[in-house]
Amino acid sequence: MMALEQFLPDGMATERLGTLLARCSTPGAVIFLYGDLGAGKTTLVRGFLHGMGHQGAVKSPTYTLVEPYDLQGHRVYHFDLYRLGAPEELEYLGIRDYFDGISVALVEWPQRGSGMLPTADLEIHLEYRDEGRNATLVPLTPRADTLLDCLAQHQNS
Amino acid sequence: MNSLPSPLYRTEQIRQLEQLATEQFAIPAAQLMERAGHAAFEVLRKRWPWCRRIAVVCGSGNNGGDGYVVARLARQAGLSVKVAAVGDLHKMTAEAAAAWQRAHSAGIEITPFHASLLAGAEVVVDALLGTGLSGPVGEYHLAAIDAINGTGCPVLALDVPSGIDADTGAARGAAVNATLTLTFVGMKQGLVTGDALEHCGIVEVATLGIPVEAYQDVTPAAHPFDFETFKQLLRPRRRNSHKGAFGHLLVVGGDHGMLGAAQLTARAAGRCGAGLVSLATRAAHATMVSAVAPEVMAHGIESANELSSLLERANVVAVGPGLGQGGWGRELFGRLTESPLPMVIDADGLNLLAQDHFRRHNWVLTPHPGEAARLLNCNTGDIVADRFAACAAIAAKYGGVCVLKGAGTLVQEGVSTPMICTGGNPGMASGGMGDLLTGIIGALIAQGFSVSEAAKLGVAMHAAAGDTAARQGGERGMLASDLLPRLRILANPELTK
Repeated sequence: MMALEQFLPDGMATERLGTLLARCSTPGAVIFLYGDLGAGKTTLVRGFLHGMGHQGAVKSPTYTLVEPYDLQGHRVYHFDLYRLGAPEELEYLGIRDYFDGISVALVEWPQRGSGMLPTADLEIHLEYRDEGRNATLVPLTPRADTLLDCLAQHQNS
Repeated sequence: MNSLPSPLYRTEQIRQLEQLATEQFAIPAAQLMERAGHAAFEVLRKRWPWCRRIAVVCGSGNNGGDGYVVARLARQAGLSVKVAAVGDLHKMTAEAAAAWQRAHSAGIEITPFHASLLAGAEVVVDALLGTGLSGPVGEYHLAAIDAINGTGCPVLALDVPSGIDADTGAARGAAVNATLTLTFVGMKQGLVTGDALEHCGIVEVATLGIPVEAYQDVTPAAHPFDFETFKQLLRPRRRNSHKGAFGHLLVVGGDHGMLGAAQLTARAAGRCGAGLVSLATRAAHATMVSAVAPEVMAHGIESANELSSLLERANVVAVGPGLGQGGWGRELFGRLTESPLPMVIDADGLNLLAQDHFRRHNWVLTPHPGEAARLLNCNTGDIVADRFAACAAIAAKYGGVCVLKGAGTLVQEGVSTPMICTGGNPGMASGGMGDLLTGIIGALIAQGFSVSEAAKLGVAMHAAAGDTAARQGGERGMLASDLLPRLRILANPELTK
């Protein structure tokens, strides 16, 4: 499957993309989010969590590195590895236990945990583009192909 | 940040990058400002996720404009925001005025600065003065800087802590004490040296989506380095080696009452892998050296003639620590300068060189700011005010490689891009530390490294040894000799893989 590119004119569009991704994702999906500071990674995660039915605020899981959400019978982990000193620190966190094949994992700054994380199903790259952002969604597994098919259908309808 | 250290830029080069972004990559200045605000707000949220109330102190330049964007985004996210404006609003740049307008339209109250505006804030955003600073900080800005520093709460500085000169790292009269500095476009060279080290807190870089192509068009002002950068130069030794393969360093020093310094140089050289280390010292000292450091071959000499046979056997000379500036030191130094061997010169060797200066390509000079001032015939204050310029001037005047010691040790060879060491700590500001460095660099040259490689690798090893010692026993009370066993471990990086 080909990568999917999208222009996101504002934060609302980024959030909407997150919401649609939530509707299309299946249990066990592992999604990596790449992008400069301020590129909208957390905004996309916020949309995703709202799409899964989360009502409250989405706060940055910086101190704990991971924030768990139990939403309508689904478990979602939001990782933000921005402040990770070295990938090995993930060992203390018991990182492997989080990727259990059932929970959905959204990982911001996965490059900081390189070598200690499982491979992703889907990579999302957010870049500054004019006033807005450009999102590139790169599917790496059949699970992600299905996810992107679903996303395309939702966006066309 | 655990990525590779980013190159360092001068303010003029940052301007060049911004101009490239605007002209060749169609990112208008206003958009860069908007992105800077987004990046800063994200850092604020990540670093202080519990924060509900912020105060933003904005100047009238583009730094203030970045602050207005942060204020607007914080308000949109539901935080309580107070903005204190310093300086003449009518003198704002076009971009800053636009950012002010958008913040104002978002309903944010923008008040002329008063210290009471900072009360109740959980995080202060310093958007007062950026890289445009020239001359000392003015009276109104001074009051704002004092007020920010007086709050005791965390401070996020945008681009540079207000008051810090982004090119030299010097505080222009006063400067904000930041908890975290988020610098934009590229790392500023002044943020890693001098006063800046005391004011910046953690430094992070946001490149604002400027394409890598733009960076390829601008040569950085300096490259940072640490032990990780160069440790791969230290390959495991071949199994069939003999001591002759690792060179012979001749240390010259130890006038009456100054044996300790020369001895530290010799011992550091041994721990860093020199095959043989000779120490030419006062005759009265020779037996004492043998007792303390039997591996060092001590030679009692009283005149320059006696150096000749020692120079024939050595392949590098380290001179300065404990040399003194008396007749003995002067005579020996004069003889050494006639030798073609590569040389490391420190301490009194530099003081003698300053009186009788000439150029060589194959030496490493390792001045601290006081010695640098003598080498350039100026005041220590001039050196501290612009360490980059001082290091370049010494390299140009004397040739070879200049290592300007201090917080953020600089290494420069000729007109090449300078390198700056990001390791080291204030615990290393104690007697004998410099003597070690002379021996480390000498030992590396003895083993076949070029003077340039040896200077960089040596500075990195020295800093790393000091940092390990500080982690294990603290900065206060750290002794130069504490570093000796650590140097040995660092000299064999395959051990710690």
